[in-house]
Amino acid sequence: MRTAFSKTIVGLATKNPDIVLMTGDHGYSLFDEFRRLFPEQFINAGIAEQNMVGMAAGLARLGYRPFVYGLSAFIPVKAVEQIKIDIAQDNLPVVLFGDGAGFVYSHLGTSHQSNEDVACTRSLPSMTVLSPCDSVEMAATIEYAYNLRSPVYLRMGKADLGDVHIKPVLLDKCGGLLELRRGRSSAPGLIATGSMVMAALEIGNLLNLNVWSAPIIKPLSKESVLEAASYSSSLVTIEEHSVYGGLGSAVSEIISEFKPTRLLRLGVPDKFSLKCGSYSYLLKEHGLDVSSLINKITEFSST
Amino acid sequence: MKNLQFPAGEMRKTVLKMAFSGSTVHIGCAFSIIELLCVLHRSYLSYPNNDPNAYERDYLLLSKGHGVMAQYAVMHHRGWLNDEDISNYFSDGSTLKGLSDSRIPGLEITSGSLGHGVPIGVGISHALKRRGLNQKVYILTGDGELNEGTNWEGFMFAAHHRLDNLMVIVDQNSFQAMGSTADILDLGNIKNKFESFGFDSVSVDGHNENEISQAIHNLWSLSSRRPKALIASTIKGKGVPFMEADNTWHYRRLDEETLGSAMSYL
Repeated sequence: MRTAFSKTIVGLATKNPDIVLMTGDHGYSLFDEFRRLFPEQFINAGIAEQNMVGMAAGLARLGYRPFVYGLSAFIPVKAVEQIKIDIAQDNLPVVLFGDGAGFVYSHLGTSHQSNEDVACTRSLPSMTVLSPCDSVEMAATIEYAYNLRSPVYLRMGKADLGDVHIKPVLLDKCGGLLELRRGRSSAPGLIATGSMVMAALEIGNLLNLNVWSAPIIKPLSKESVLEAASYSSSLVTIEEHSVYGGLGSAVSEIISEFKPTRLLRLGVPDKFSLKCGSYSYLLKEHGLDVSSLINKITEFSST
Repeated sequence: MKNLQFPAGEMRKTVLKMAFSGSTVHIGCAFSIIELLCVLHRSYLSYPNNDPNAYERDYLLLSKGHGVMAQYAVMHHRGWLNDEDISNYFSDGSTLKGLSDSRIPGLEITSGSLGHGVPIGVGISHALKRRGLNQKVYILTGDGELNEGTNWEGFMFAAHHRLDNLMVIVDQNSFQAMGSTADILDLGNIKNKFESFGFDSVSVDGHNENEISQAIHNLWSLSSRRPKALIASTIKGKGVPFMEADNTWHYRRLDEETLGSAMSYL
């Protein structure tokens, strides 16, 4: 996934010398290729994220295309006000990359874990919010973000889970959801995003359920969600993000208005991590490991 | 186009008219920067064809958005705002707000939440350098506003990257919303702070137009590649004796009587 990230931004920078990659002193080896090829298009703005985002607004006003990279705990969360006032209100073409989202930094605690980034950005007018699940979606979402020419938050979560898609995906007309498998219409359909798509697919295969990936969390089209609802007895959203304000909220906002459907929102419950441990340990602490997910889905579908 | 003089007294009258018609606050914040804005607009800011959106323009970023009525006054003088904009201030459906809004040509940025002008201005300065363009960037900030950490993040970047097309102008009126800067969060010697952050800096009387103009000229004439800082010592509420250095005029509103009285001094 990270190779796809590097390869895609290098490809875009080759075509457009106005792309400026900015980082707040993060992404040590991730930018090796970019820095080697385009040293003048790389800015390490120092450990000063709010200034970096304000600067990106200044650069964008003069026609540059800033790609602003940081850990998602900092970009966007530490700089939400700069994103709102300096970038979103003026609809500037800035792409914000938030890496290490969710529990990637499982051993580092609350400061580096980020489960509120989508909620923060989704509520800002003019923002698009993307959440790729594998290297295929990573390449597609970056291209999509670049072509939008408006503010984008691109969430980068656990990156070494392997690929879900076997061929390129088209995002322009998908409405937000990509169908991964078709299962029983008499059972819940799963809509997952980012790092949880692989788990959703595994569960879908085990229980023969419909599964969609949601690389575009905002704007999420009414049609795509209603179609998913019409193919399933109920819906389950799965995300490595707070159950408040993320994919689950976005889906519930649509179905509650247009097609009341039972919805189980699986995500990070309303609490901070208590313990230290591996990534898989923390998923379990928050009930996002595959067996916990299966138990919750099974219980939901039987009531 | 007529030769614009930007007389400070007229600008203050425009501010009073707006403040009265809109029944608004922040008069003192606007009055302390009148001379600074008059000098910048008269002698330094280039707007080809008097167009606030001209690609070749210099940039003035009013980071202390609370002084926006002073900028409205010079924009009115330039013909960018009409008389109705002044007399209908704050009426329902009007466009001019109580703080700077980037969507109004001539205001450049949205501010009022403090500490936004420097990062954006540093980005513009850096972009101009990258493009090989010669325009200048002026950021007008308050002294109280320097409490915000984003300013100092931006200053470090500006000095490190030798943004010598950037000038930070500090309106040092020695007050912030709830009292004096010395009592709330003492900034010490602001000029020394800028020097230690790698700026060339000069202190001036912020109400002496000749002194301001000469200092700006001198700063741009330096051959160093350092960003510039102009520390302007000012009086909050300057121009109307009963408002001067009386911080209640950060929040007080005009009535018929105080309006008439204030006008009589200008």
